[in-house]
Amino acid sequence: MRVRFIDPEGHEHLVEGEAGENAMRCATRALIPGVIGECGGAMACATCHCYAMPPEGAALPEPSSQERDMIDGCIDIQPTSRLTCQVVLGPELEGITFIVPASQV
Amino acid sequence: MNAVTPLMPDIDFAYDDVPNLHTLIDELRTHGPVVPVRYHGSPVWLIMDHGLLKSAFEDYDHFDATAGYKLISEPSMGKTLQTMAGEEHRVSRALVNPLFMPVKVRSYVEALIEPIAHELCDRMEGQREVEFVSAFARPYPFLVITRLLGIPVAEESQFMEWAIKMIDFPWDPEGAVKAKAEFDAYMQAIIDARRADPGDDFVSRLTQAEYEGESLSDERILSFLGLLFPAGSDTTYKNGSSLFAELLANPELCALARGSDKDREAIVTEGLRWQPPTALLPRMASADVEFGGVHIAKGDWTLFGITAANNDPTVFPDPRRFDPSRDNREILTFGRSSHFCLGMHVARRELETALRVVFDRFPDIRLKPGQTIEHVGAVLRGVRNMIVQPYGEA
Repeated sequence: MRVRFIDPEGHEHLVEGEAGENAMRCATRALIPGVIGECGGAMACATCHCYAMPPEGAALPEPSSQERDMIDGCIDIQPTSRLTCQVVLGPELEGITFIVPASQV
Repeated sequence: MNAVTPLMPDIDFAYDDVPNLHTLIDELRTHGPVVPVRYHGSPVWLIMDHGLLKSAFEDYDHFDATAGYKLISEPSMGKTLQTMAGEEHRVSRALVNPLFMPVKVRSYVEALIEPIAHELCDRMEGQREVEFVSAFARPYPFLVITRLLGIPVAEESQFMEWAIKMIDFPWDPEGAVKAKAEFDAYMQAIIDARRADPGDDFVSRLTQAEYEGESLSDERILSFLGLLFPAGSDTTYKNGSSLFAELLANPELCALARGSDKDREAIVTEGLRWQPPTALLPRMASADVEFGGVHIAKGDWTLFGITAANNDPTVFPDPRRFDPSRDNREILTFGRSSHFCLGMHVARRELETALRVVFDRFPDIRLKPGQTIEHVGAVLRGVRNMIVQPYGEA
């Protein structure tokens, strides 16, 4: 499945995502600038924040309360803000776009 | 574990300076990814391979750190995030987490961190030569914590003594427990005052914190405040000393440090990779496990070889080269998983701000020529002292 990342410079990256992996792993595997994921996906570092735009007709599950709390502490949050380590890729998200914020810190 | 013969038996990684740690690790690596070495006089398992170390950080079945930390830190430090696991850890961490998130830490830079960096530079002003570790690197993160807690300037040196002693439990148990008692007595008065009249400061926020119906008792706040010093001050000062030593020896890196915020972020991250302040992190195995070709038994002590993993050539090509442009997403300096270092953002902002302010105030700063500068220590690693010339050649 195809996942689109827009990095902080505005460059588009199309990455072949694997169903079942989280979007942070997909991004770091493809060396997308600005997605760090330093804690490895435990919602402990807040360095994989992105703005998520699911494809038309699809929606992401609501963030857990722990993810919500972490997002609240991120920089420049928007209603579409997610920790990408908590977004599990699946066929229904084919073509999902993640916009990487200007800075995680 | 006692039947195992350590490699390099003449070296004790708890006590020896090991200025050549990277070379020792290269040699140890030829014997396997996990090898026995000597630590506090006894054999322990040193984990060096990056993939294995990452998996150990994430494996709470076999490497749950809490039992070991209870032995070496709870008597003097009390119950802290380091000695908690599972739900108790999750809730306790959530109570303090907002104070360490990126948006909050960004506000500390202008209000707190940058003024302290300037204050320490003020003290170097006009001097031809300065010992940089004692003048800047060491007091800098310490003062960030004392000012964060609202400690009066006149009391700062007393706090420095308590902070140093509290973590000395494995070497001086009585002294460590006494220091913690004195620290607690002092801080209790501040906690009482903040509970009675809370403001927007750090201690008030702790007294007011609530998460899923839980709040922080005075005892928990005191333990948490005590942990701030070893976790947030000693580590950052050691790394700051290593970082400045490397930069000041390399004019190209100094030029880069005068560049953009992104440049400084990259330099700091490479410094954290190359000489992590917690070079080897002691952890006790919580269950038997076959790991990296050896049998590690429950209760065996291990050393999480952060410096080794951060210099694993299969993950970081040409690892001894200081290269801020490399991809550093896989560094293990701050650990991994749910016990990932709570203060990571504070440490990074402190180090980045130090680079910005010092090179702005002293554009010609350089090392005094002719010195031998060594990075020393295996548990906490940094530079013991280095003379700088703030205005360059005199």
